[in-house]
Amino acid sequence: MIRTTLKQLLAATALSGIAATGAMAEDVDYGNFADYTLRVKLIGGAQYEPLYARISEWEAMTGATVDVLSRKNHFELDREIKQDIAAGTLDWCVGSNHTSFAPQYGAIYMDLNGVIGEETLAEFQELALKNSTVDGRLVQLPRHSDISNLYYIKSRFEDEDNKAAFKAEYGYDLAPPETWDQMKDMAMFFADAPSFYGTQFVGKDEAITGRFYEMLVANGGQLFDENWEPTFNSEAGVKSLQWFKDLYDAQAVPAGALNYLWDDTGLGFASGTVAMNLDWAGWAAFFNDPENSKIAGDVGLVRAPMGDGGVRAGWSGSHTFSITSTCDNVEAAASFVTFLTNHESQMIEASTGLLPTRASVWDAAKEKFAADGNDFLVEVFDTYQLSMSEDAFTPPLIAPWIEVSNEIWPRLQAAILGEMTPQEALDEAAEDARIVMEDAGYL
Amino acid sequence: MMNGALKKRLGAIGLWVLTFILMVVMCVPGLWVVLTAFRPNGEVLAKPPVWIPENPSLLNFAKIFGVGVDQVAIPVPAYFMNSLIIALTSTAVALLIGMSGGYAFARYRFKFKNGMFLGLMLSRTVPGIALSLPVFMIWSRIGLIDAKLGLIIVYVALNVPFTIWLIDGFFRQIPKEMSEAAQVDGCTRWQAFWKIEFPLAKSGIASAGIFAFLTSWNEYALASNLTRSTDSKTLPVGLMDFTAQFTIDWAGMSAMAVIIIIPALILTFLVQKHLIAGLTFGGVKG
Amino acid sequence: MANKPPPFWQREKYTPYILLLPAILTLVFVVLLPLLFSLYTSFTGYRLIRPESLYQWVGLRNYERIFSDGDFWSAFGRTIIFLTIALNVEFLLGLGIALLINKITWGQRTLRTIMMFPMMFSPILVGYQFKFVFNDNIGILNNALQSLGLSDGAIPWLVDKYLANFAIIFAEVWMSTSVFAILLLAGLFAMPRDPLEAAKVDGCTPWQVFRHITLPFLMPFVFIAMTIRSLDVARAYDIVDVMTGGGPAGRTELLWTLIARTGYDNARMGQANAMAYVSIILSIAFTYYFFTKLIAARKYMGGAA
Repeated sequence: MIRTTLKQLLAATALSGIAATGAMAEDVDYGNFADYTLRVKLIGGAQYEPLYARISEWEAMTGATVDVLSRKNHFELDREIKQDIAAGTLDWCVGSNHTSFAPQYGAIYMDLNGVIGEETLAEFQELALKNSTVDGRLVQLPRHSDISNLYYIKSRFEDEDNKAAFKAEYGYDLAPPETWDQMKDMAMFFADAPSFYGTQFVGKDEAITGRFYEMLVANGGQLFDENWEPTFNSEAGVKSLQWFKDLYDAQAVPAGALNYLWDDTGLGFASGTVAMNLDWAGWAAFFNDPENSKIAGDVGLVRAPMGDGGVRAGWSGSHTFSITSTCDNVEAAASFVTFLTNHESQMIEASTGLLPTRASVWDAAKEKFAADGNDFLVEVFDTYQLSMSEDAFTPPLIAPWIEVSNEIWPRLQAAILGEMTPQEALDEAAEDARIVMEDAGYL
Repeated sequence: MMNGALKKRLGAIGLWVLTFILMVVMCVPGLWVVLTAFRPNGEVLAKPPVWIPENPSLLNFAKIFGVGVDQVAIPVPAYFMNSLIIALTSTAVALLIGMSGGYAFARYRFKFKNGMFLGLMLSRTVPGIALSLPVFMIWSRIGLIDAKLGLIIVYVALNVPFTIWLIDGFFRQIPKEMSEAAQVDGCTRWQAFWKIEFPLAKSGIASAGIFAFLTSWNEYALASNLTRSTDSKTLPVGLMDFTAQFTIDWAGMSAMAVIIIIPALILTFLVQKHLIAGLTFGGVKG
Repeated sequence: MANKPPPFWQREKYTPYILLLPAILTLVFVVLLPLLFSLYTSFTGYRLIRPESLYQWVGLRNYERIFSDGDFWSAFGRTIIFLTIALNVEFLLGLGIALLINKITWGQRTLRTIMMFPMMFSPILVGYQFKFVFNDNIGILNNALQSLGLSDGAIPWLVDKYLANFAIIFAEVWMSTSVFAILLLAGLFAMPRDPLEAAKVDGCTPWQVFRHITLPFLMPFVFIAMTIRSLDVARAYDIVDVMTGGGPAGRTELLWTLIARTGYDNARMGQANAMAYVSIILSIAFTYYFFTKLIAARKYMGGAA
């Protein structure tokens, strides 16, 4: 079933001219695995699917068959993998992974050092590989990276009336914000609920923990001290949380934001009802596509704002592929993940705005965008390249991260909704996070 | 001049129209899903809203089946077949087991009868979420994960208690003397059951069947845990193919919803008549 | 009768047990065994991602932890309130619909099918459907209110303390009212006509007829419907999980969403199973309550329960 559909998709992508040509075979030998069936679990979704069209190419090249066991979003996939660990049903070889999730999985994924060729690994960005390493083991091969920057509706910022009114009210010029404080001013300035909002944020799950975390760092705070004691209930923490609360109280963000996830914020911005949107690069092409977006051609982009610490927010991670330690044909699995992260594969992903993990693809993609006359994507890549190299940091790569996050975000919500003060909320979250860390053996 | 009969008739029509409108209002949230299935992209979740689709299209269905669009097709035919096989088989088996159990409760006196009945009913109260992991662990040991059989067994267990309840009540309605008379005439007990009691209990069985079918057809919590691939994934689990990390394809999901609803609706309409009769006698009278 | 006695499986005494055997086997296999397993894990520090922790006996620690946890008790209380309100509203609406349809003489089959329309919806679908209906920005409800001029703000249906709980109850009621309606309609159909006619002759008002004849007759059906609904009320988990996930800030947290997050996202399966046990006892209590009422009502009707 899936095999035929993938072939259809290949035909479709070939039509749209993205498909790699014969020259793509690089110098890598992908091997011959005739009659072998490789079982994989992949992350699904519009931004991820174009790459999977290439699977049939790999099948044709190696003679192997790929059986896609699941294609789900990462939270669902995470649940399924945890069940597999519990039941010992790790009878598959390759799984999609993510730097934030990887540390929980322990030893189920093998160290790829020595499995993937050294020359191949050398092509990847050092930072991306470093972030993919847990306890000295390279448990995943990065496919593309994510980090957020600030999209804005250009015309709103260029409007002369807006400029004059803003200057009169706030005493400085209206321009895409450099700091979180400025962003707050501007969001409140633009907001006109319920028809128009200044900005928005994802309000639940690890999504809001991550946003809080990057602002905390930007404001000079840290989640944990060097002994893994939670320290996010600091002044910087309170200030960061206050930022969310102020925007929410001022109705500068949609009232339902606390129930939003990434799809809501992305679609909301594309609907033209939000002035500024902090988001990853995967939406870039979508925002500028007249078919999907009301603000196509009117989208500006700057790096994420700075906090009091003079640091820019740069919560980052990579989507990756991992190989299970129980895999019955490591060679085939290695060939598969190498193929899906090679130059041509990453070029396909880059065309929607996804950020490559191979250094060389950045330039090649920009050249291609320029040749296609797509100045917007060139700008996107320039901006994201800068933030990836200067601002990026990951959440702590420790097993209890998701669990700690689950202690933090309901308290963030409670503070934003005014059920407790930011200080109370963070104190309580820190106390519970401490128990989690204690149980996990860090304290 | 208006005579009484005409007045009565007009009143009946008025009542019907009123009820019809009420029913439709009740269905609006569901109808909205059906309308969404036929909307082109721009009209889905539009602001301001487009109430009635202005350009109805089958594009969402085309997308599901991967016709003429560059999107991976959702393997709906496979899901559909899985759902159909799983729901029909589990319903049939649950009815058999339920008939046998219901007959025992209706026709025999035995030790622990009331306790057993209550125990069977209470087994249904265990929430799916509490069952999902332990069942998963046991199923994985015996190779029932990602197998239609694994899900069928679970659904049979879900449906047996209610089926026994309805069918028990139904058999009690049928005078014992009828089958006794048949036995006097030389039938075995089995023949008497098959020729006399079973035909009389048909509507009870049909209504138990429709409830069992709808439960299996729509179940999600357990199916999402116990299925893995197109070998066993059912339609409700397939709905999740439309959600991904960053987007929910609501139009596509609605189109799939229509595909899920139609067979259930047709079946319900067909079994309608038996349904009411079956519930009437099965439920209480016993 | 000098025949030698038949083998034991043909003896009348054992027949009911043999007839019940398939049902018992299925339920032991699918429900009882897994429950015993999860009962065991509720006394361990079992974490999903560390299989060896299955053997780490912690005694009553999981229970101590959840019983001293305020979040657990508020989810517990909210679940009871949720069940009570949802079941009662479903009953009242279902009764109204059943009474109305019972009056229809022509075209009733069509109306009954329309009435059962929500039963065709999978709970997971109902969840998504109402997630979009109640979305504050692009949701159909706020859009409708705004274009009708009834509201000029974006009402945060899924965030506000009361509205969010209203929204999840609304979704649950929408999905399950039909079940009540169809069961009560069946009850009305079974109603003998004579007492009704007699009451009319005696000059009773329609309300008196309803109060003193229809309703008492219908009560067993009401308890059946309540029992059936409380049997599978945990289906609401799918709806709530999709609509709010128990949030924001735990405002719509029910036992089931709390269990799922503890067990899967936090991988603390031992603790989750301890909670699951509490929720099972709660479900059993609800069902048992209605069931005893039902038995009493049956006796009252003269049935041979």
